[in-house]
Amino acid sequence: MTEKRHVHPITPVVKVSTYLPALVLVLLFTLGQPLLGEPYGIVVIIGGLVLLIAVALGYEFLSYRRLAFWFDDDGDLRVQSGVVFQQERRLQLSRLQTVDINRPLVARVFGFAALRIEVAGAGDSRADLQYLTEQEAGDLRNEILARSAGLRHDAGEAPEEPLLVVPTKDLLVSLLLRAVTVFLVLLTVFVAVSSILTTGWTGLFTVFLGGVPLAIVFTEFAQLYNFTVAQSPDGLRLRHGLLQTQARTIPPGRVCAVEFVEPLFWRRKGWVRLYVTVAGLTQSDDEAGTESVLLPVAPREVAENLFARVMPGVDAGAVELSRPVSAVKRRSPIQWRHIAAGTDARVAVCTRGRVTRRRQVVDHARVQSVRLTQGPWERPLGLATVHLDLPPGRVTAYWPHFGLEQAAELTHTELGRMAVARASDRSIRWMQGPDGA
Amino acid sequence: MASAVDAAFRVEGDTWHSLSPKLITARRLILSLFAVAFLVVAAVMAIAGAPMWMAGLVAVGGLLIEVIGWPWIGRRVRSWGYAERADDLVVGSGIWFRRIVVVPYGRLQLVDVKAGPIDRAFGLVSVQLHTAAATTDAAIPGLTAETAGDLRDRLAARGEQRSAGL
Repeated sequence: MTEKRHVHPITPVVKVSTYLPALVLVLLFTLGQPLLGEPYGIVVIIGGLVLLIAVALGYEFLSYRRLAFWFDDDGDLRVQSGVVFQQERRLQLSRLQTVDINRPLVARVFGFAALRIEVAGAGDSRADLQYLTEQEAGDLRNEILARSAGLRHDAGEAPEEPLLVVPTKDLLVSLLLRAVTVFLVLLTVFVAVSSILTTGWTGLFTVFLGGVPLAIVFTEFAQLYNFTVAQSPDGLRLRHGLLQTQARTIPPGRVCAVEFVEPLFWRRKGWVRLYVTVAGLTQSDDEAGTESVLLPVAPREVAENLFARVMPGVDAGAVELSRPVSAVKRRSPIQWRHIAAGTDARVAVCTRGRVTRRRQVVDHARVQSVRLTQGPWERPLGLATVHLDLPPGRVTAYWPHFGLEQAAELTHTELGRMAVARASDRSIRWMQGPDGA
Repeated sequence: MASAVDAAFRVEGDTWHSLSPKLITARRLILSLFAVAFLVVAAVMAIAGAPMWMAGLVAVGGLLIEVIGWPWIGRRVRSWGYAERADDLVVGSGIWFRRIVVVPYGRLQLVDVKAGPIDRAFGLVSVQLHTAAATTDAAIPGLTAETAGDLRDRLAARGEQRSAGL
């Protein structure tokens, strides 16, 4: 067991300054205004504010004192936290999924970073360590990754080889060239015009306060800004963000599925977006869903190269695809031509979509269960859908509307391939090689 | 059982288990309680002086629930079934939306056995299987406590044997 370590003592101040200004503003507007008219109102307000700050600081100080982390004798990370409900969490590093370094705006101003550690498991299986200096956060991440890879903990930072940066212009253009964006622009105009018509120009003010629909696109842009991919022995390292920088590491062999997405207007440019599902990564609070983006936009060739790194040795293009029976035309008149299914020894491939083309490549070893479904619209046509159940994430994989016999055949093949893949899976402690696993 | 989809999974030697017929009784009891609640509301409305047609509508609604739900429950419970195969558990359910879930034993993360108050009165419990995928959704309701306990133990043992990383 290593000695207990604490996060940086400045933490209470940083934490309080992330939420207190907003809280104070809200309180001032709701409670403060009527108080101002009263005698001594201003004194009450100032007194209240001081009290509020003191309470917040006091609470955050207690929780800072309580938060400690160390490595136990098995080499796993223990995190102790909680003021009222105290808990001690053991994060089994052999099941480590990702270690992210996040720099929220306020923390970044102070030069601090937060570390988020995720391990595989149902439900809440993560720990947040906030805040550390950027140096400490980087060192700790390297230590955790080295320990989880089965190396000595003082192995130092794995050398990094930069692979690509998504140009800001491409990102901006790609976000604008989406049907969703067009819809959001129209919605924004509609909301603005209708509120001006009903309440006059003050309506516009309310619209901006309430948030314009188009803001979703800006959020996505800000989150994906300066998207950088680098290869290190720990895995693929992704960094991005304008106001809040995120850094994620995707360890090799933890990738369940990758999705290639081609919206209609991107096709002329030959652009693709990649999403990835990593086992155990719980879906969290990020609005634009950028946590699952492997590559926001890139030419197909670049995307294929990156894909080859997260799923080494897989040639998804060479997988033989089969098409559903002709009854599918009556179930999916628009996209039927693009529905296809295929498997090889390593992966299952699903393609679908006419307007936005999607292709999922799923690792057999990560499929949790196979589901065959038949709805009332499929039954008279003799069709059925095969779903490949994956750990929670952005990618959903299924083979829609295949003939019954085809679906049964696909299911049997998939189950067989899953069993073989599971038996030969050795992604735990990946750096020790097959014998040490 | 009758669905064509199921044929896909009928392998020689599989024994397809159905749910306990007592589940039909238990579910019909719950249904009847609902219907009775509607009738009570209708009666109260009539006594309290609401227009007769309104009270009548509520009463008819209650009767409709009973009449439509009664045979539906029978079909739905009978549509359910499961088979323990060599490497996986197969659970089939549904009439309109027929679905068959195949869960390899090595993928099972936990097996829940639970029972509500009415089910318990009939000596029934339900078994819920969980994998790392939230979409797996394999549940077997209406087993006798003994069957469910045995099933859970067998699943746990096989899961242990064949457990794989994520």
